[in-house]
Amino acid sequence: MYLGPVLVTFAVGAALIALFFIPHHQAQVVNAEILEWATVVYAFALILGSISLWNTHARKVRNRIEGWPFSLVTMATLVTVTGLGVVQGTGEGTVVYAIYQSVNAPLASTMFALLAFFIASAAFRAFRARNLEATLLLVTAVLMMIGRVSIGEFLWPGFPAFTEWLLDVPNLAAKRAIAIGVGLGAVSTGLKIILGIERSYLGRSN
Amino acid sequence: MVRSRHMPEALNTDLFDPTRANVLVALLLFLTFLFINILRAKKGGTMYIRPLPGLTALDEAIGRATEMGKPILYMPGLGDMSEVGTLASITIMGRVARKVADLGTTMQVPCYDPVVMTIMDGVARQAYRESGRPDDFPPGSVHYVSAQQFAYVAAVTGIMLRERPAANIYMGTFYAESLFLAETGNLTGAIQIAGCDKVTQLPFFVCACDYTLLGEELFAASAYIGREPVQLATIAAQDWAKLTAAILIVASLALLALGRPELGQFLRTS
Repeated sequence: MYLGPVLVTFAVGAALIALFFIPHHQAQVVNAEILEWATVVYAFALILGSISLWNTHARKVRNRIEGWPFSLVTMATLVTVTGLGVVQGTGEGTVVYAIYQSVNAPLASTMFALLAFFIASAAFRAFRARNLEATLLLVTAVLMMIGRVSIGEFLWPGFPAFTEWLLDVPNLAAKRAIAIGVGLGAVSTGLKIILGIERSYLGRSN
Repeated sequence: MVRSRHMPEALNTDLFDPTRANVLVALLLFLTFLFINILRAKKGGTMYIRPLPGLTALDEAIGRATEMGKPILYMPGLGDMSEVGTLASITIMGRVARKVADLGTTMQVPCYDPVVMTIMDGVARQAYRESGRPDDFPPGSVHYVSAQQFAYVAAVTGIMLRERPAANIYMGTFYAESLFLAETGNLTGAIQIAGCDKVTQLPFFVCACDYTLLGEELFAASAYIGREPVQLATIAAQDWAKLTAAILIVASLALLALGRPELGQFLRTS
């Protein structure tokens, strides 16, 4: 029953790996074509996504679950924006474009701006000197912060260079160690899927 | 069928890119490690895998949610199906859903990508089927939210604040939204377990979550939870490859110091 999807996965995975090593122009055309198919699949999946969104919020409204008026707004917006997009398109000068520019973009920017406050609260919790490691983290963070602002250079001219060293040597060493692990883990997961060792994405335990 | 299309004037007719020879060697070496370890596993060899506190805490988190009668919030991140972190997340979600089904608690999986949502829904349904409780699967527990990063954040933090889940599990590929989600989850008092393959987001999860799977531990997690010998063999192969990489890095540095940069140049990817 599951042999078909596993074979398709193997064939596509092996082909894409092979295409990575083949610079031949025809091979690159095939590569581009396969990647374009992903966009087509995504477009169809978006319909499923919209149905899921509608069903989830319709259930909330029907059962009067806490916050249901927000669900009603979501459903109304989904229908209105989709309808306007189908009728008028989404290019510059359309209502959908105006909604995106005047509602969506400022809201997203506001959310992003809030990140600074979240960083402050997370840093406050993380930098409590509970043990040796946390104290080391706290001291390094304080030195980093002083070294990255103008007063740092005023206090000690070597501060900026010292903070650069902290970033480029101990910090980068740790980052690269994690990056190597991630790279190998990604290769391992990819091979497990291509070779059919890992099939949980088909809704099946191995 | 492949269509021919407009091509640049200088057509490449080579069948192999020599600048990627190092990647091919590494791939073949990794495959060799993989097959050796799978054979070892099939012959009944023991595979020791370092315990990961974040994974042992998963059971604790699901148990806590069951006792409190509150849901578990599982977030697969913002990655699509081309991200390996998302594939690892799907596997872990399957295992979590199985335990959730066994214990009779509830789980919510808000998704950012409609393809990921469709696959996760299928995996969760199968987990309930395997648990012998297909009728208990709540339709809509795996649902689509939005493909806009901060709209997704607003919706998920809304779920956290209204429904107060007992446990928040973040597994997959996360970007700037990681701290929003983890900090809001922290405010609600939920037990939080994260696993991420993005180095830039790991510090945020470490700050705001109770347990964090760092980088490769996310990929090891699915095999670790399952405990099947062949799956564990893949982690052993990964460790062998890591040891080989460490030896090669040290060797290339030593050779470079001795005025022989050839190995270092070969290891450099184009």
